[in-house]
Amino acid sequence: MNASPYFRKLVEWVPVAVFAGMFIFLGIEAPNLFTPFTIDLMLKQAVPTVVVSLGLAVVIMTGGDDVVSGGIDLSIPAAAIIAAAIIADQVTNHGTLLPIALVFALLAAIMVGVLNAFLVVVIRMTPLLATLATSVAVVGITKVITQSKRINVTDPFIVFLRDGTVIGLSAGVVAAGLLTLIYWFLMHRTRWGMQAQATGGGREAAEVSGISTKAYQTISFFLAACTGFLASMFVLARGSGSSPGTEDNLLLEMVLATFLGAAFSPRRKVTIWGAALGAVLVTMLSVGFKSIGVNVFWTGCIKGSLILIVVASAAATARGRY
Amino acid sequence: MRWFLRYSFLVVIAACIVFFSLWNPVFLSAGNQMNILEGSAILLIVALGMTLVVSMGGIDLSVGIALDFGAAFAVVALKEYDAAWYVAILAGIVGGCLIGILNAVLIVWLNVSAFMATLGTFFIGSSVQRIFTNGGGPISHRRMPQEFRDLAVGDVAGVPTEVVIAAVVLLLYFIFLECSIFGKRIQAIGLQPTAALIAGIEVKRIIFFGFIIAAATCAVGGLIASANIRMFTPLSGFSYLLDAIAAVFIGASMHPRGRPNVVGTLVGVLFLGILANGLNLMGLNFNTKDALSGIILVLALAFAIGQRRFVVLRKGHK
Repeated sequence: MNASPYFRKLVEWVPVAVFAGMFIFLGIEAPNLFTPFTIDLMLKQAVPTVVVSLGLAVVIMTGGDDVVSGGIDLSIPAAAIIAAAIIADQVTNHGTLLPIALVFALLAAIMVGVLNAFLVVVIRMTPLLATLATSVAVVGITKVITQSKRINVTDPFIVFLRDGTVIGLSAGVVAAGLLTLIYWFLMHRTRWGMQAQATGGGREAAEVSGISTKAYQTISFFLAACTGFLASMFVLARGSGSSPGTEDNLLLEMVLATFLGAAFSPRRKVTIWGAALGAVLVTMLSVGFKSIGVNVFWTGCIKGSLILIVVASAAATARGRY
Repeated sequence: MRWFLRYSFLVVIAACIVFFSLWNPVFLSAGNQMNILEGSAILLIVALGMTLVVSMGGIDLSVGIALDFGAAFAVVALKEYDAAWYVAILAGIVGGCLIGILNAVLIVWLNVSAFMATLGTFFIGSSVQRIFTNGGGPISHRRMPQEFRDLAVGDVAGVPTEVVIAAVVLLLYFIFLECSIFGKRIQAIGLQPTAALIAGIEVKRIIFFGFIIAAATCAVGGLIASANIRMFTPLSGFSYLLDAIAAVFIGASMHPRGRPNVVGTLVGVLFLGILANGLNLMGLNFNTKDALSGIILVLALAFAIGQRRFVVLRKGHK
């Protein structure tokens, strides 16, 4: 509370410094890591995480950044996994055309969003509890669809998302970039986005100024479910099919990326850019550590420590402001 | 009438019991009743730890890690150091306390929110288990001292020890949270931390020890789990997390002011135990069972919290 301003400034830069330090270390240890080819490869790996992180960012920006009482959606990865399972099951096991399979998957993802919105907005369940419960149910249903088996997908469109290129960049990377741009425009440049952020900033104040906060929260869960659906295609492309157990890692990376993004933003707020950047950085670190031969089992430890460094430094600077 | 509505969740439980017993009469047999209690013992212990944390206005995503550490420390003490059974129990509880201390330091000293702090602990704890077991292989110890093994398979006057332990923990938590001045202080912190601070409650110290006590409680669950299968299975505690949270919130929905409480948590745990047991007896496919219990959980939570919002609160305002 009475820390000197210099010390506070120092603490503020800790997360950035830690990340810069890690990348410098990786760059020295593995000089080949930062060639255009490997960077494109790493970006491709990051695509599913980027897409779901956009969804989580929208929910947090609209619901408020208190993790328990504010907005959070832990079911986006589950929505992505069930959509991926439906697409894979329909296309590979039932010979359905991809566009029709996509419609089924979209409907399923929207159902997840509607269920979340119902539980949070109508029943007034804590978003954390509601989306955690939804996530468990959805993952359970996914297991019934896939019978906990891997399903390969060789549809040309999915293969294009994996291997195709647009103007020299991977198709998936371009698509994720565009999506980031769209979500950024929606949340940071439109009236709707501003009012959604007002809802997140102070529910009662927004309500008093005539904003229908319930509608905004409902739509935020819907938008999040949409990112789940979009991510499903990239999940299929990255894994060349649907495999069980993908959701856990996606969930952890999504939460880490989104809150990491907040630490990089000037006001320590969750933003669309921050979430996308966070997702890219997290994936790059995972790939980087793997490529210099760090034991895979350490990755969780590194990620956990990163979350804590970032959040603790954010907490310390927030306290300093009072 | 309000009393009835508040406890309408009990009607749901009764409906489940009727349904399962019609499906399979074995469900009602005394042996199966004991199965349900035995199957719920560890979850009850973990959920009580969670009740404490949620009462303080926090959440603990690392309960499973504390449980795993409790099991790991005890099994390693027995296997590598030939420790006596009571030393192993102590080691397990110390293992859980380490997790609690990590959480407490992060939350109280570094001001990290409980969700993020315990999520970080969860990451680190899972990773440590993977490193320690070289990828997640179980550590088995077949020649466990009988006294330790009895934590899970023994009985006290015919009642399985794990049920007795759970009952003792339940009683201790009831006295601690519902009947002591500490319980009142914890409720005050959970409702209004600033007001509690101004009222002279040592908020930080109580939260600090609260997280340690919760983690130590979960470690007790880990001791029973490891004694039961005579091994430590890394990352097995995770499966208790959502059930524990669900039990606490189902319980809270039965409280007049919607607060987490010990008796409510017990009801929540028994509901989940009955559900798991009943679905097992229906002989469903493993995947179908998972899906069904997930869906029923969502419905039960929606019902428990919804009836409170639409009925109890509305009546209360009149």
